[in-house]
Amino acid sequence: MNLITRVLVEVQELTLLIWRVVRGLSRSPRYWSETVRQMDTLGFGSLAIILLTGTFTGMVLALNSANTLQKFGVQSVTGQLVATSLIRELGPVLTCLMLAGRVGSGIAAELGSMLVSEQIDAMRALGTDPIKKLVAPRIIALVAMAPILTVICDFVGVLGGLFVSITLLHQPSTVYMASARDAVDYNEIIGGLIKPTVFGFIIAIIGCYKGLSTTGGTVGVGRSTTQSVVVASIMVIAVDFLLSKLIISLLLEP
Amino acid sequence: MTNNFNAIEFQDVSLAFGDNVILNRVSFHVRYGESKIVMGGSGTGKSTLLRLVLGLLKPDSGRILVDGEDITNYNEEQLMKVRSKIGMVFQEGALFDSLSVYDNVAYRLREQKVPEETIQAVVMRMLRFVDLEDAVGKMPNELSGGMRRRVGIARALVGNPKIILYDEPTAGLDPITARTICELALKLRDLEEVSSIFVTHRLQDMEVLANEYVIRDDSGNLIFEHEGDRLCLINTKFIMLKDGDIIFSGTDEEMKLEDNPYIRRFLS
Ligand SMILES: Nc1ncnc2c1ncn2[C@@H]1O[C@H](COP(=O)(O)OP(=O)(O)OP(=O)(O)O)[C@@H](O)[C@H]1O
Ligand SMILES: [Mg+2]
Repeated sequence: MNLITRVLVEVQELTLLIWRVVRGLSRSPRYWSETVRQMDTLGFGSLAIILLTGTFTGMVLALNSANTLQKFGVQSVTGQLVATSLIRELGPVLTCLMLAGRVGSGIAAELGSMLVSEQIDAMRALGTDPIKKLVAPRIIALVAMAPILTVICDFVGVLGGLFVSITLLHQPSTVYMASARDAVDYNEIIGGLIKPTVFGFIIAIIGCYKGLSTTGGTVGVGRSTTQSVVVASIMVIAVDFLLSKLIISLLLEP
Repeated sequence: MTNNFNAIEFQDVSLAFGDNVILNRVSFHVRYGESKIVMGGSGTGKSTLLRLVLGLLKPDSGRILVDGEDITNYNEEQLMKVRSKIGMVFQEGALFDSLSVYDNVAYRLREQKVPEETIQAVVMRMLRFVDLEDAVGKMPNELSGGMRRRVGIARALVGNPKIILYDEPTAGLDPITARTICELALKLRDLEEVSSIFVTHRLQDMEVLANEYVIRDDSGNLIFEHEGDRLCLINTKFIMLKDGDIIFSGTDEEMKLEDNPYIRRFLS
């Protein structure tokens, strides 16, 4: 009972925050230069980990699937398997889990420490709405950057798979690439871009919400940071299931 | 409309955090040009009172008027207009750590899209006022506590607010810096007719604020004078908070005559 009430209260507060962001976006001032700065720090700042994640995931996918596919004598579809897995599932989910760990936690920690050191109050006292200045730019930045990073992750993943196919599986690169190209169709890509857009929003809003609801000084900042990572990661995985169901029934099974 | 003489007015304001009653039907007012010195032990709600004036918190009941406007039910957007008349010096400075001293002081003007040349002139004037011109390029974490406090004051003064709220601006500072800050407050009170609430624990601050005044002589120099026996400053009043109530309200002369044991202990 107590837990349920608490969850309901949190959901209500989160909804309220989303509503205030949406309303804030419809009125000036809008902080575009701040938004661009956040795209740079949150998005391009995450490029290195996304490149590593994508490459190694593609490599291990090629390695594992080739093993199984060989038993059925269809090793030639390795490329397709790697590309499909990445575009549909692993690209969006892994990218966004990395973002939840790196960016979501950073947002919660930054806003949380600003809150406990009264910087948020000072901002309001000086005539700025923190929702517009701090929350909205981070949400827009992540919603824009998560799909871009996902595409990069997918791309380097396919290249990672290619590398393994050539060096370890001794497949001709043309076979792998032709098979990978088969996997790429319009609906798959749309589906694969809807996911990170939604996840980016979830990560940013949860980071902001947890940061701004910090209580209890610096210890509280640590707690908010951890919670933001845990909640955002679980949400990403749970929402991934729902979105997959939706995308399959709407786009991939006409 | 009747004539309004009050820069800030609290009418029966109550506020509690859960079971913890902070203010219990508190009423007082600050006239235009008046300085109200707020005293009280730690945790009696002095900072909370200032946050109420800014509308950062809403009272549970009662009304709060700022410059004649009832802000009690204002939304965030309406409050922004009211806040532009108020400068707040936060207890811990509350400087933006991601911004340099210059950008901190310039913050309000940047938000108002004032041209950069104007901003630069204002910022340098304010930093000169608090004697921190040399720190202009530093980041807040490179400053000492007293310097942070003074940057906080400079930031609060930008835009020439007619109401200034000081939250223990002298706490933990050496006597000379503390005296400088009190002199700043005197200058603003006597030369710029700023209304203010000044939260402090220090008897020295009370002495300075209640007994001294500034005048500008014919050649433009500032002279600090002691009120002496002939004169009695009427633009500085005291209130003392305890357990959610105002237990004293009046001038320093009246306070020294109080026989409430708590106030006697506070002043000794
Ligand atoms: N957001 C909050 N939630 C719950 N309680 C709070 C909150 N803010 C303040 N309080 C409580 O309100 C009381 C008054 O706090 P306040 O900061 O106004 O005290 P103060 O008079 O400024 O003290 P000090 O002289 O130490 O600065 C304290 O008991 C504090 O625990
Ligand atoms: Mg305080």
